[in-house]
Amino acid sequence: MAEQLTGSQILCRALLDEGVDLMFGYPGGAIMPFYHALPEYPGLRHVLVRHEQAAAHAADGYARACGKPGVCVATSGPGATNLVTGIATAHMDNTPLVAITGQVPRAMIGRDAFQETDIIGITQPITKHSRLVEDVEELAEAVHEAFAVAREGRPGPVLLDVPKDVQNQKLAYTEAAPRAPEGRRQGLMGSPTPMAIVEASRLITRAQRPLIMAGHGVILSDAYDELRALAEHTGIPVITTLLGISAFPESHPLHLGMPGMHGEVHVNRAIQQADLIIGVGLRFDDRVTGNLAAFARGAKVIHIELDASEIGKNVPVAVGLVGDARDILRELLAVVERRDCGSWRGEIASFVRPRVDSFKGGLSPEEILGALEDASAGRCTVVSDVGQHQMWVAKLYRYQRPNTHITSGGLGTMGFAVPAAMGVALARPGESVWAISGGGGFPMKMEEGIPVKMAIFNNGYLGMVRQWQQFFHGRRYSATPIWSPDYLRLAEAYGIPAWRVERAEQVDEVLRAAQAHEGPALVEFLIEQEANVFPMIPPGASLSEPIESETVSV
Amino acid sequence: MTTLRALTVLLEDRLITFNRAVGLLRRRNLPVRSLAVGPTVTPGVSRLTIMIHSDEPTADRAVQQFQKLVGVRAAAAFPAREGVTRELALVKVRATGERYGELLDVVQLYHAAVVDDNPEATIVEMTGSEAFVLSCIRALERFEVLEVARSGAVALETGLTEAGARVPANI
Repeated sequence: MAEQLTGSQILCRALLDEGVDLMFGYPGGAIMPFYHALPEYPGLRHVLVRHEQAAAHAADGYARACGKPGVCVATSGPGATNLVTGIATAHMDNTPLVAITGQVPRAMIGRDAFQETDIIGITQPITKHSRLVEDVEELAEAVHEAFAVAREGRPGPVLLDVPKDVQNQKLAYTEAAPRAPEGRRQGLMGSPTPMAIVEASRLITRAQRPLIMAGHGVILSDAYDELRALAEHTGIPVITTLLGISAFPESHPLHLGMPGMHGEVHVNRAIQQADLIIGVGLRFDDRVTGNLAAFARGAKVIHIELDASEIGKNVPVAVGLVGDARDILRELLAVVERRDCGSWRGEIASFVRPRVDSFKGGLSPEEILGALEDASAGRCTVVSDVGQHQMWVAKLYRYQRPNTHITSGGLGTMGFAVPAAMGVALARPGESVWAISGGGGFPMKMEEGIPVKMAIFNNGYLGMVRQWQQFFHGRRYSATPIWSPDYLRLAEAYGIPAWRVERAEQVDEVLRAAQAHEGPALVEFLIEQEANVFPMIPPGASLSEPIESETVSV
Repeated sequence: MTTLRALTVLLEDRLITFNRAVGLLRRRNLPVRSLAVGPTVTPGVSRLTIMIHSDEPTADRAVQQFQKLVGVRAAAAFPAREGVTRELALVKVRATGERYGELLDVVQLYHAAVVDDNPEATIVEMTGSEAFVLSCIRALERFEVLEVARSGAVALETGLTEAGARVPANI
């Protein structure tokens, strides 16, 4: 005879069947039956956050770091709505995430019950899929469907809304192997025709000034070796987008840097001069292209992308290759002729300009990130927040190992770094993980003493907004000066060691000490107030019109 | 080239799936002219016809985006001029006394039909292209039109279509 299990027990079993061993969440009324069952399943570790948004970011960071879907749990109503920003962040950056929310009992749905919210409706445009589980009979299948959809193809978040009475419903449960759900998506994973591969290879052979632009898709499909092999086989320089950073070793002579709004001048100039761009796993986001009409006018584009609907969405494409980046790069490698791009690379080298000092003071982001690289022997994973420090972190630390730079790229979610870094730290036990944030985005959310090192770049402003005000709003610093708490005392309240660095001479010693400390630690850097991120392409301008210093006014 | 195009989508007839499909139209800012939904020969599966005024890449991308939705079984697009497009309209008209005979003349002229005759009001049914239906409704406006119900257009591409670009009869 089959065992009688509750919906909550079935939910736990199904999660274990999917290989889940860790989740982030916050309990509440409509999800209490699930939390009641949870202790019976010690294989499911639960990390209690202090705000549901942190649960979603932590699950996101975990998934980005290890590739398995991250799981977050919240109650109905405000618990569920607090997840929304985290789910949207995962959706924009294609993180596999399964969000489980409690819902009011079925009989109360639609009656504006206490803590009822239509979370399926709210999250519909920011999820890959969502489902209200209407009966315990469909619960296990719904969980397996959620994981399958979150993982397959272009990954993304899935939300399961489970009414409280379904969690309590009993069912004679027989274990069923997870099966692919019916009636799902058609023809998503096309593979390119041999003709298209040959055409792409012909374009690569003929190009005089080719570039590879590598995006997040390289990391998602684990195509590091193939990308490197193609670059080395052809001598084509490699640009990595914000989410593509660490897809290609930055010490490699073919690595150029980051393109776009805060890309280096020589990188953007190379794009504007190129006659061929091989885009691998990226979506030609507006922060990358600048003004589309003026983007790489002389270049044909080969676009390698898993999602057919991305091809030609923003940039006209000469050859679109739909499929997994790793498979397609392998197919290309098999046919592309060996070549060298010596003179083109020489030309790009001549575009390089000396970096403009963004700093009047002594403690520059260059120095801090250089010292961090030394202190961590270049081996830590850096999780950044959003704003100026995010650009410095992207540009000034040389990432050597795959997938060691994690940030909220598409949505640009402030408050991402610390909770996401917790997820990363739990996905990579024993590795050094640094969460770097600005004074504006630093939310102090430490739970369970997860060994994340935190750094705050404090310039007393919401710096990126202030920079826009400086250039585009006549220095009217409206609502951007910020007061910060005394972070040293805040850290003390949390029982973690902290340092404040005000002068360059202190940087090395403090970072070594923080790095050497077992467990979480915090370092606050008081940096120049009007520090800017250079160069900068003004919003709506083309990649050919960078602002390179404060003397240029727009 | 911007022209009228038909997007046809086969999808599970659950409210959440309709919600997602219509949400996609809104989120991707598609220039929708009309929407029609009805059952197919497969129980549990509906056919959605969306007429949009767009260029070909926009329509193709919409098809790909529909194909990504869970619950969508198939999607395809074709220019309206390469297919047959029909809609149905029911028009409730009041025409009493000697005007009733005049109404029947108009009905006959448009190959329409009287489907309900009530002393208070008459319901006229007509089928045809959007332009035909509009002109028929205009002709009826010389009487007192009380209510109009239009189905929105449904469409089929003429001739044989490649299997991959066709929305099948059932699935």
